[in-house]
Amino acid sequence: MVPVIEVEDLVKQYKKSPKPAVDGVSFSVAEGEFFAFLGPNGAGKTTTISILTTTLGKTSGTVRIAGYDIEEQDRQVREHIGVIAQRPSLDTSLTAEENIRIHACLYGLYGYRPSYQMMPADYRDRVEQLADVVGMRDSLFTKVGKLSGGMARKFEVVRSLVHTPHVLFLDEPTQGLDAVARHDLWDYLDRVRRDWGTTVFLTTHYIDEAESADTVCLINRGRIALCCPPEEMKLSLGADTLEDAYVDFLRKDGADHLDALQLGGTAA
Amino acid sequence: MTTGMSSVALAAGTLRPTRTRFWREVNAVVAVAARDITITLKSPGTVVMSLVMPLLMMGMIGGNLMQNMAGGLGFNFGTFMLVGMLINMLFMMTTMGMVTLVDDSDGNYSAELLVAPVSRYSIVIGKIVGSSFMAMVSCLGVLVVGLAMGITLAAWQLLALLALAPLMCLSGGALAMIVMGAIKSNRVANIAVMLITMPQMFLSGVIIPIGNSSGVLLVLSRILPMTYCVDLGRAVVYAGSPEFGSVVLFNPAVSLLAIAALTAVCLVLGTFLYARSEKNR
Repeated sequence: MVPVIEVEDLVKQYKKSPKPAVDGVSFSVAEGEFFAFLGPNGAGKTTTISILTTTLGKTSGTVRIAGYDIEEQDRQVREHIGVIAQRPSLDTSLTAEENIRIHACLYGLYGYRPSYQMMPADYRDRVEQLADVVGMRDSLFTKVGKLSGGMARKFEVVRSLVHTPHVLFLDEPTQGLDAVARHDLWDYLDRVRRDWGTTVFLTTHYIDEAESADTVCLINRGRIALCCPPEEMKLSLGADTLEDAYVDFLRKDGADHLDALQLGGTAA
Repeated sequence: MTTGMSSVALAAGTLRPTRTRFWREVNAVVAVAARDITITLKSPGTVVMSLVMPLLMMGMIGGNLMQNMAGGLGFNFGTFMLVGMLINMLFMMTTMGMVTLVDDSDGNYSAELLVAPVSRYSIVIGKIVGSSFMAMVSCLGVLVVGLAMGITLAAWQLLALLALAPLMCLSGGALAMIVMGAIKSNRVANIAVMLITMPQMFLSGVIIPIGNSSGVLLVLSRILPMTYCVDLGRAVVYAGSPEFGSVVLFNPAVSLLAIAALTAVCLVLGTFLYARSEKNR
């Protein structure tokens, strides 16, 4: 499979921090793959995802997304990615449709028009179909501030997919959502992967969400500790679920020993 | 979930922009500006505030000066103040509008803007255009208050000022970017707005003539873009009148050049600071 994300020896040293937040991380993600990037708080997940999505500068290393270098060709990288940030990023003063319309215009898909009715039929069809897919057509013209967290999150996913990205970065997308909202959102995301072949890069603290991932990558203290399919991780640790394997791994090895026990520091 | 997903042609990488880069950047400016204008229109309080502000600035401060200190100036203080106040409102309201850049960071909408494949300049210019909408509403308020005070301008003078308004707003927004570009806290941003707008009003000759300023005050007045904006505005309004020499400080071409140069420097530096503060941590 062709790698759509290639990370080589990535280092990020924050200005006011004595230690690097990301320290020599290398991995690659194939096109269409579901890649789960797991780790405890402060492990370097969000730093890595911020660098990959071009919103944070790296200290050293090489990163290529869809074949484009994140520093030299950041505009092309941005054209090929969709991002769901940890904190909701819809404008709560606007309706869901207005948020989607501005997004579509920022990505150069349509010329901006001041009302939904004035937008091209192609845009209206696409938005209505997407809203149908998540069962939210009735809420399309509701102010985001009046939607529940789960409903807003669904629209955020819809917005991030309007420009058909190759890679969808999900940074703890279900944080703060109730169980039903989480289930619904994952139902939708699974279908996105299956039907559209979108590569998904996920960070999450809900380990069960990574159960169906093709590859699970465990990062701790800025370094890759393990990178393999979830079944392999469960087998090697004798655990029934990925969550058990994850917790066992962190407990057995302990945060202090993880560096020494790197199983796949440069896993591909 | 009612419709089959396959019916929507959204397979990864199928939809790509087809227009030119220039068109996309202009479209991004329009989209960013339209967002701010939409938000303003949905917030009646903001519109009311933009109309009330001239009442305070022009009606109370200006009215008091006109009644007590305007004698012996050798020109009509009312017209002098009206032009200054119109340009001050363009500057002040555009600067205040630029605080939304910090609001976006607070509310995390900047995450959406910063991953968009458009130039940072398009985002900043879009913000300035969006902010200038509120500034134009305020100018309407200034004209209404002026009318109530018996101060009016001819239609051609108004049209000439209207033609200059986009340049004035761009200049004000660019100056605001120098400060907003590096600020992350909403609270600090609001204080910074006060620090930018209030001294400018006095240093740039909005309501008080600065023809006799000297020392530090002279230096400060000469480095502020609003000084040249106010002077250019007056040069247009007083063109051909006997009061021109006592009201206008610089040759209009010099003012225009100074505005263009200061705006370009502020815009480039401010956008650089904005992009750098977001990315280099």
